[in-house]
Amino acid sequence: MTIASIKGIVKRYKHQIALDYVDLDIHEGEILGLLGPNGAGKTTLIHCLMGIIPFDKGVIQLFGQEGAVFHHENKKKMGLVTQEITVFEELTAKENLEFFAGVYGLKGEEKKQRVKEALEFVGLSSKAKQTPNKFSGGMKRRLNIACALTHRPKLLIMDEPTVGIDPQSRNHILDAVRKLKEQGTTILYTTHYMEEVQSIATRVVIVDQGQVISEGTVDELINNIQHEEKILIDVNDATMIPIDRLKSLEGVKQVQVNGSVIQIISNAGAGNLDRALSIVKETSGVVGIQAEKPNLEDVFLTLTGKQLRDGEDDPS
Amino acid sequence: MKELATIRFIGIRMSRDFITMILLLGVPIILITVFSIILGEVEGLSGTPIRDETVVLLVLGFQLFGGAITMNYVHQDLFAERKNRLLSLPMNTTLYGFSIMLAGIIYSILLGIILITYTTMVFDVNWGNFIWALLVITLMSSLSSIVCLVFTFSVKNFKIAERLSEVYGVGMILLAGLFFPMPDNALINMFNDYVNPLMLAYSSIDQVRSGGLSDGWLYAALLSVLILIAFGLLLLTGRRRMP
Repeated sequence: MTIASIKGIVKRYKHQIALDYVDLDIHEGEILGLLGPNGAGKTTLIHCLMGIIPFDKGVIQLFGQEGAVFHHENKKKMGLVTQEITVFEELTAKENLEFFAGVYGLKGEEKKQRVKEALEFVGLSSKAKQTPNKFSGGMKRRLNIACALTHRPKLLIMDEPTVGIDPQSRNHILDAVRKLKEQGTTILYTTHYMEEVQSIATRVVIVDQGQVISEGTVDELINNIQHEEKILIDVNDATMIPIDRLKSLEGVKQVQVNGSVIQIISNAGAGNLDRALSIVKETSGVVGIQAEKPNLEDVFLTLTGKQLRDGEDDPS
Repeated sequence: MKELATIRFIGIRMSRDFITMILLLGVPIILITVFSIILGEVEGLSGTPIRDETVVLLVLGFQLFGGAITMNYVHQDLFAERKNRLLSLPMNTTLYGFSIMLAGIIYSILLGIILITYTTMVFDVNWGNFIWALLVITLMSSLSSIVCLVFTFSVKNFKIAERLSEVYGVGMILLAGLFFPMPDNALINMFNDYVNPLMLAYSSIDQVRSGGLSDGWLYAALLSVLILIAFGLLLLTGRRRMP
């Protein structure tokens, strides 16, 4: 079942096009990874979906209703984890959650219980009475997430929730996202860290310059671009290797010797790893072997001609 | 009306904003204490202690700056870092802005009450009728919050809005002649008699204190007219700028 359907959305900022006829469906129970570099239009798309900003053209259907992004009833079924930490620094963690739970219409014992559950979920129960200005960056991020969870949203939108945090907190957040999916929450997860998408997303949409350039599961996206594979064999004595025999293998496009390493470029799925290894072993000992497969970074590079996170620090 | 229920949390936030607390409560207490000690029991030409006049003007003067906290919270929550999160919530942002204003006014009134209590108990300052003083403080807090919000909505750059609010506070104190005596100019006199909220508030308290209840009402009514005008401007500017 489709929870949100975006059709032909266009958003312009003066003369700049932020979203250029974007089509996107979000299915119930999935973690949809929205992948793209900074400035690709991810946050703008989320803001249109949440009814934060109006869009110039197109239709958004939410929970089966058309043009309902500004309806409070739909907003009650959604939660937004903002890219910036937007908790109230002067309120304790518990008070922060009580504020948001109250706005979502929770009251009395139910509110108390949900606040408790949300704090437990993000591992901040022991810090419930502390204000976030005493928290580490990772703890603040977790509280930022908890604020969007007290009302148990059907659709949770997470806008780069792991930016600038330590690996331990990052793993905690990714585990939490997996748990939410198990509980039936549909998640739209935006990031420019492909490792995160690769590890949690059930489906991936790649955006660049305001356009959806590809979508599918991680494997589908990789298979779409995988035309060749690279085999690297580190040998004791490369001079003895029968290069011509390797070149004659079916599907092999290129064989190169770099020092003690034999590099074989072959068609994807040609199954040349075993054959090449057998030939090499006849004349030399093998020290190491490596078969490189493309990852999402390569997919992105192939599709857009640029790196996914130029100038960004690796999160791990 | 879940938006109005947020007043509790806005109030908690304001009460934990220690810098604002120091500026709006700590500084006036220090100034009042210093001035009261210096002025002692010296009486003015009218026979009332100069200390009473100075302290009442000081407390009312600080009310001019009370709106700063309202404008800061409205800016932070609806125009800056928290804007997107709050816009994603199922609530009316105009009503939420109104809740911030209400919380700011209540906060300012509470600080005013603390200052009135302090000056009465420690320095025996004559405020006349406490309920009347409270009413005037309420009018001053409301005006200050509304005026500061008008500044926030009128200009795009919040820093400029902050400077304008300072100009409003300092300007009224200056024109009231608290820094140095103003020239005996018809325009300035007319401004102080009919427009300057600080002088209107002081005159209202002073009149009631000396038995002139009808004049006290008149000055309070003039202050209320200013509030209505400012509120009209708030609606106009707010409609244009509110997210």
